[in-house]
Amino acid sequence: MSNEEDSSGQSTADNSGQLNVYADVYKVLLGGMMVSTALFAAAIVRALLQPQFVPLTPEWIKQHYHWRVIAEGLLAFDPTVIMLIATVLLILTPIARVVVSAYAFAVDDDRKFLFVTLSVLAVIMLTAVLGLFGLK
Amino acid sequence: MDKADLGSAKARLVEIYHPIKRMQYSYSFVVLLFGVAAFAGLFGALLGVGGGIFLVPAMVLALHLPMKIAVAASVVSVIATSNAGGSSYVDQRITNLRLGMFLEVFTTVGALSGSALALYLHDWVMQLIFAVMLGYMAYAAFSTRNLDDQRIASGGFAKAKADRFARWLKLRGDYYDDAAKKEVQYVVNGVPLGAAIAYLAGIASGLLGVGGGVLKVSAMNRYMNVPMKAAVGTSKLMIGVTAAVSSILFFLAGLIHFTIVGPVAVGTTAGATAGTFVMNRLHSAWLKSLFSILMLYLAYEMLAKGLDLGFHLHLPAFA
Repeated sequence: MSNEEDSSGQSTADNSGQLNVYADVYKVLLGGMMVSTALFAAAIVRALLQPQFVPLTPEWIKQHYHWRVIAEGLLAFDPTVIMLIATVLLILTPIARVVVSAYAFAVDDDRKFLFVTLSVLAVIMLTAVLGLFGLK
Repeated sequence: MDKADLGSAKARLVEIYHPIKRMQYSYSFVVLLFGVAAFAGLFGALLGVGGGIFLVPAMVLALHLPMKIAVAASVVSVIATSNAGGSSYVDQRITNLRLGMFLEVFTTVGALSGSALALYLHDWVMQLIFAVMLGYMAYAAFSTRNLDDQRIASGGFAKAKADRFARWLKLRGDYYDDAAKKEVQYVVNGVPLGAAIAYLAGIASGLLGVGGGVLKVSAMNRYMNVPMKAAVGTSKLMIGVTAAVSSILFFLAGLIHFTIVGPVAVGTTAGATAGTFVMNRLHSAWLKSLFSILMLYLAYEMLAKGLDLGFHLHLPAFA
């Protein structure tokens, strides 16, 4: 890859690398948005077919945090479980975008921004660990 | 006033000021949530904010949902609007990916601090903080309404001097402005101050259920020499990661109510998608003026609710 500089002082290698990152980030965001929106829409329609009262307590929400409940909910097309899965996908999309960006920066040998991106990932992981072990 | 009237008035007060314990998942509930979320998504895409500033008050004041459930749903909706708006702005090359990634380090650390605070604070404290923040947003939007067009016309964004951090990190950028019909180039400066404000924006996101987008857009536009539209596009992308960090904590605490998040996420996605198609074609001055009026109204509503719950002080109501 050439490393010549254009009139603005930016190398052609930088430009090409940035285009790769832009394309990869775009694909991840679009994919995450489409899948989660489709799941939410299907679950809302399902829920409205049998409207019922829904509790608003954390205890009720946490009842769904079990693999068995999720598996049974998937088989029964339970709208709450479908929306749980869509929510998790939604939360994971920006994180996947950061992972893909890190990969793209690594491929482009942009070490400074690989470090920056990995720092963001480290904070995200720290948050999850703190949440699991006491920060509640 | 007889006893029946007193009972009715008391029931009305309970209805206004006390959140419901359960909800009926009806067509009207879903349509209302979707409508509010679509409006929030549309304005969020136009102004680079998450939309939580509209969503949280609407869910608390109009739908009587508990504050923490509303904040958590709003944080997840910020991800939805960031995915929809961010993907479009990345596709249009309005977003400055390198600048966004750099500032994300500071906003994610801030979001972690803010989420921890949100789990321990009372609702009324959050409402009062929210009111102050909304007031600041109104001022920031109104005072900068004409700034961008003037600097684009004078080429001021390209003439500024980059600081050493910006040069080292190669943070300059450019985009095509559909309204001005010209390629806008800019160099970035004020990186340390921008990073500090990005950290505060992260705290706002975790604490109040908003993306902190207004603070980020203000920081980039006013202190880092980034044009408004590039700041909006970059902020739109950044708020997704900030909100994802906060969402993890809310999820583990059992505060993310999936059946509420559903219509909110679909609504904000639809609104944000529409907003990104028109943002680059608009001059921002009139939108920011309208935005500041709405912010002032919401700030007042939140202030009234927070003062009532925390100090039993009653402010006059608009309606």
